[in-house]
Amino acid sequence: MAFDFPFMVEALFKLMLKIPISLEITFVSLIFGFLIGVAVALIRIYRVKILCRPADFYVSVIRGTPMLLHVYTVYLGIPLMFDALAKYAGWSARSKDIPTIAFIFIALSVNSGAYMSETVRSGILAVQKGEIEAGYSVGMTTMQVLRRIVLPQALVVCLPNLCNSIVSLLHGSALASFIGVSEITNTANMLAGDNWKFFESFVAAAILYWGCAIVIEQIMGYLERKMARRCGAPGVPASSAA
Amino acid sequence: MNVILKNIQKSFGHNHVLKGIDLGVENGEVVTILGPSGSGKTTLLRCINMLEYPDSGTITIDGLTVDATRPHKKNTLRLRQKTAMVFQLYNLFSHKTALENITEGPIVVQKIPKKQAIEKGEQLLDLVGLSDKASHYPHQLSGGQQQRVGIARALALNPEVILFDEPTSALDPELVGEVLVVMKKVAREGITMIVVTHEMSFARDIANRVIFMENGVIVEQNSPGEIFTNAKEERTRAFLKRITPEYAYEI
Repeated sequence: MAFDFPFMVEALFKLMLKIPISLEITFVSLIFGFLIGVAVALIRIYRVKILCRPADFYVSVIRGTPMLLHVYTVYLGIPLMFDALAKYAGWSARSKDIPTIAFIFIALSVNSGAYMSETVRSGILAVQKGEIEAGYSVGMTTMQVLRRIVLPQALVVCLPNLCNSIVSLLHGSALASFIGVSEITNTANMLAGDNWKFFESFVAAAILYWGCAIVIEQIMGYLERKMARRCGAPGVPASSAA
Repeated sequence: MNVILKNIQKSFGHNHVLKGIDLGVENGEVVTILGPSGSGKTTLLRCINMLEYPDSGTITIDGLTVDATRPHKKNTLRLRQKTAMVFQLYNLFSHKTALENITEGPIVVQKIPKKQAIEKGEQLLDLVGLSDKASHYPHQLSGGQQQRVGIARALALNPEVILFDEPTSALDPELVGEVLVVMKKVAREGITMIVVTHEMSFARDIANRVIFMENGVIVEQNSPGEIFTNAKEERTRAFLKRITPEYAYEI
């Protein structure tokens, strides 16, 4: 059985229509994952009472278990909890009303939050202690120092790692096919269902993922260069950069 | 008295760094603190704006007295807002331009309107001779230029006192002069300054008072004329002899 090139091209065009859904999963999870990551990183760096132990636990468990399991656990576990809660609170909504894509948003956000917390943490630790002291010396509060001095610089430092996170989220979005969200991988599976040309179909999907990854890398590379030009080399002491 | 320190104590572990420092600084006075390394000069300076929390003692600046034993967060903040600091390694905000470094405090902390803060910032850049570097980032400036921006950043806050922590120690010898010139200018404006330095020329020519510290205590303090020619304590004389070799080699 030869490689059916025309079918692959046909699949390519059909799958292209699903790119927005895969990207939606990627970027919604990225935003929530990043927020979780920043919060968890701050909690762990400042050893916030009560919260820091659960934060350590969260990072350890999530990084220690496969992403596919997070998707399954969220998909199977949240409806149970939701229904119990709905019954208790007397809501009319039931778990079947929740769109399936919401589960993948939650699963990937929780997953990437754990990884990104480590990325953000390394970025925050790279900020010069002297600059933080300088912030305090001009009379800033801890929050002001964080917002004005630490986080803007930490973000620049973690940009390369963030690029990695985005690409792995893009790949993670393929796991949505396991719970029946009709994104690129799921649709590739469907297309081949009629004629058993799985190989052609998946090659087409792979090309599309690769294309998206290249675009993401380009954008992040551009951002990195732009930020680096502004900041010089963050993490390098001012004296040695002079 | 503008700045009053009473019985400041500070230990790092078993190392008793400050053993009860009492010090008063008048409005507009320029005080330099000399002493061998490890004598607690920098720690004392950092205790004044609570970048280092003293173990005990009180700090009074411009009428605000803070008990260092149990400092309230709010009081720490108010104390810091009355002071400014110039650091040994400049510590400019590396993601902000020279001008933004200067206006950051006034805009964020003092809530001064942006336009007004920028105007003031430009004046200060002019004062330190860097009006053409307003939009440069710290890594584009030499050490001496960075330190001058650091001084402008401190001045922008209109502080009751500026704390200088060895402001020229990290500079190449040929860049020390430009920073000293700016510091002299600041001193002449009548701003209260406490300067930890090894720059004898500054201590001799500009300071109103020289303090000699060793092992966490103030050994001796006097006018620069007295200290440099007529120190009472043997330890002071020995230290000054060591760091002013030009006299030692006189024939």
